[in-house]
This record gives sequence, C-alpha cells and structure tokens, in this order.
Amino acid sequence: MHSRFTPYLFVLPLIAFIAVFTYIPIVTSVNLSFREWDFLSDNKPWVGLDNYRLIMSSNEFWNSLRVTAIFALISVPLRLCLAMAIASYLVREALPQRLLRGALFLPSVTSTVAIAVVFSWLFATDYGIINAFLAMFGIPKVYWLQNPQLALWVIIIVNTWKQLGYDIVIYIAGLQAIPQELYDAAAVDGGRKRHVFRRVTFPLVMPTTYFLLVISVIEAFQVFTVVDVMTKGGPAGATDMLVNMLYRVGFTLFDIGMGSALAVMLFILLIGLAIFKSRVLGRKVHYEA
Amino acid sequence: MKPETLWAWAALVAGLIFLSPVLYTIWISFQTVDAYYSGGAHFTLENYAEAFGQYDFVRYLWNSILVSGVVTLGGLAMATMAAFAFARFTFPGGDFLFAAVVATLMIPSHITLIPNYLTLAKVGLLDTYAGLILPAISNGFAAFFLRQYIRGIPRALDEAAYMDGARPYQVLWRVIVPIARPAILSMGLYIFISEWNNYIWPLVAISDQDLYTLQIGLARLYKENPGEDVINWPLVMAASTITILPILFGFFLVERHLVRGITMGAVK
Repeated sequence: MHSRFTPYLFVLPLIAFIAVFTYIPIVTSVNLSFREWDFLSDNKPWVGLDNYRLIMSSNEFWNSLRVTAIFALISVPLRLCLAMAIASYLVREALPQRLLRGALFLPSVTSTVAIAVVFSWLFATDYGIINAFLAMFGIPKVYWLQNPQLALWVIIIVNTWKQLGYDIVIYIAGLQAIPQELYDAAAVDGGRKRHVFRRVTFPLVMPTTYFLLVISVIEAFQVFTVVDVMTKGGPAGATDMLVNMLYRVGFTLFDIGMGSALAVMLFILLIGLAIFKSRVLGRKVHYEA
Repeated sequence: MKPETLWAWAALVAGLIFLSPVLYTIWISFQTVDAYYSGGAHFTLENYAEAFGQYDFVRYLWNSILVSGVVTLGGLAMATMAAFAFARFTFPGGDFLFAAVVATLMIPSHITLIPNYLTLAKVGLLDTYAGLILPAISNGFAAFFLRQYIRGIPRALDEAAYMDGARPYQVLWRVIVPIARPAILSMGLYIFISEWNNYIWPLVAISDQDLYTLQIGLARLYKENPGEDVINWPLVMAASTITILPILFGFFLVERHLVRGITMGAVK
C-alpha cells in the first residue's frame, strides 16, 4: 500500500521549514546573546553574561519594560470588560446583531499600519478631526502624540479599537456554549438580570476569559507596529515597547549580542506565560453546574 | 416603531460610528488637498493616480499580492500534507514531530528576527522575494487545525480508495482535500490576511524600494511626507485605502462563505 517512509515525506517540507526558520533561530539567539557582534566584524567574541548585565543596568530597558507592562495592565482588562459587555448584547443570531458583529470585527483583520496612519491623522495636532471637534467646545489644541502623558493612552485606544472585535467574537462563541436550561432555571427562580449575569454568565464564560486574558497579555508584550508607525517609541520613550527597543538595538544599532539577549529575555517571559496558559487551560477552568 | 426595527437601526448607527475612521478615510481619499485644508468638498481621483503612479503603489500592491499569494499557497500545501500524515499514519517520531509543530504556536516570532535576518544575509536572500516568503511560509497553526479536521473525516473513505489501488498522495488529493475544502479555505484566508498585514519582517528584510509591500510603502509614505503640518493627507488616505481595500473585499467574501457554511449545515 505505502512504504514506511511515506508519512515522513509528507511532513518533511513543513518540518524542514520549521526547523530552519523557527527552532534553529532560537538556538542561534541564545548563542549570540553571549557574544559581542556588530554584524560586520569577522569574530564574535564570547562575553558571557555581559549583554544581560548591560540590559539589566540600562534605563532604556526598565523604561520599556515599565511602558509595556502599563500598556498590558490597562489595555487587557479594558478590552476584556468591553468585549464581555458588548458580546452579551450581541449573542443573539438576528440580523442587527450579526451586522454589528461584522462591523466590530472588521478592524481586527485590517492592516495595522493603515489603522495607525489613520489614527495619527485623527489625533493630529493641527487639522486633526479630534482637535477640531474639541475646538467646537472651546477646548484648546491637545498635543496627543507629542505629550508623554497622553501618547500611551492614544496607543491603547488604537489597539483596543483594533482588537476588540476579535475578543467579542470569541466571547460570543463562549456565551453561546452556555446551556439555555441554566438561564431558564434562573428565570424560574426569579433571578434579576444583574444577578443572572453574576451567578450564571460570568462564572460560565470563565474559561473564555482565561483564554483571552493570557493570549492578550502575550500579544500586548509583542506590540510593535502601532508604536513604530505612530510614535517610534516617543515622546521621550513614553511609548517605547520591548519589541520596539529590540528592533532599535538589533536593526538600527546592529548590536546583535544585546539584541539577541533582549530577545531571549522576552522569549522566556512569553514562553512562561504560554506554558501557564496551557497548564490552566489544560486543567480546564470549568464550573460544572 | 417595533422594538426589532429600533434595534436594527441602533445597531446600524453604532456600527457606522465604530467604523467612522475607515469611512472618513475613504471619503477624504477622494478629496483634493485644497478642499481638505479649506474644509470644502471637491471630488477627485487624483490622489489615487498619484499614489499608483508617482508613488509606485501599483508595484507595492503587486508585491503584496505576490508574496501573500505564494505564502498562502505554499503554506497550505505544506500544512495539508503534514496534517494528512499526522491524522492518518502512526509512525516512529510522529507524536514528537507533531508536538514540535504545535509548540511553534507558543513561540513568539520576535526571537527569530535577528537569526533569520542573519541566515538570509548569509545566503544572499535579503532584498529578494524569496527572503520575504521563505521565513513566513511554514504555518504550525494551519497544520494543527487541518489535522484536527481531517481526523473527523471517516477513515472508511480512505480505505475504499486504497482498495481501488490509490496511492497515499492520490487519497490526499482526491478524497481528503475535497472534503476538507471549507477548512482549507478558511485557513487560506487566515494565512493570506496575516501575511498581507505583516509589517515587521518586510521591514527587516527589505530595503530595496522595488520590493516594498503595501505595509512598508504606506508607512514610508506617511513618515517621509515632509513637515508635520503640510502633510498631503488626502494622498496618504488614498494609500491607506489601497492597503485596506483588498482585505475589506476578502472580509465580505469570508462572511458570505461563513453564512453559506452555516446554512448548508442546517439543511443537512
């Protein structure tokens, strides 16, 4: 029928590409993180933990870590709360709900670069429509992207606008999986709307919430594009995320050793989160009724 | 008005408000610069002519289509073949290899950025289409998803084909692929959209302007437009529309495809 090599031939292309472009690079990154190299010189001297020490003692790194953490801490709960609230209104399979779902989902599949460009324009200091709108109420020009106090908030708004629809779609799937009998039982017991939400809906979509929580934190720690287009990490580092720092160190300063060390640190952090996710989801955070 | 109708109108208005940045973008892309800065309205196609002509967006559009297309077709081919083997054969090392494929879902892509750049530099593939395509082509998620789907297809169908003397690749192509088509199609759309919107890898791998994808071309056009206050916003919005529109069309296609899948399931 078939030789025992057949299955290997079928998986070979995928495995080969994954090996060359995913697994070997991890080893390469770890190796380079212990070396000093500017991409051009012939030798790459071993420097031990120097790159890591350098990173740990740089203000730039602690700033990026802080900014990324603040970004994750604000944008993730914001997205999840909004998504859960909106999803519970859009869970029905009628035309208005489906239309609105489509509208909300659209930004999550469109180009992040285009969205970042469009919002740069909306938030532009001069001729930006948001400032024009505020001017109607006599509010003076706001320097959205030039003010270190505000720029991160703009990034959070843009990111939320883009990702919200995805969260909503996942929540709707989670909500639709809740058995109708539970709601019927709650109605028989005369449960108030708020009560039903707290006692039935909220605990039963917990697995979905955990799933979204962990993947959006992982995603938040990898934000790059919106920041690269809108602020380049500025003003004064106020929006400088970890991956933006990685890009700068690796590809504009060509400090390959330090860039690799930064990549390895971020990798360990995110893999830790991913393993936490599969552990928690593996145990299935379920609330059997 | 009936509450149903009221709901429909409210949903429509809410959807339009939510999407207003996109709608406003498309509107401004058809305005002249003078009209834009003076607050008037004057329809023109000139921004598109300028973007496609002078600013080479025809070229970027073609590059995006080519790269996303090849990544999608190549990625689907590899993923489907591997998914078939993982779903249908037990072979020494099979479980390990499958675990290695699934594990790629957890690996953040930034760790491969510097090493892949170095690999491509070593073999002289920076600033080539191959350099854009090769690192993006393997897709662990598609392989995983399709393997789950293929496992749901009754084995009896394979066995009947083997009885008729079919070879494994024929079983894959003639039996599995036609049945798994909805799953393959939705994975294809997913790969195409992600690759279309990919920014950081082309940013790293490409410096030759002739190889810019739309994402890089748009980011450059926006950033290099001189002077904060004299930006030609209608031109930039035309370029943004060009970048978004193919995916918008694709999105409506997916929606229809999804609806068709749901209704077909209901009829069966």
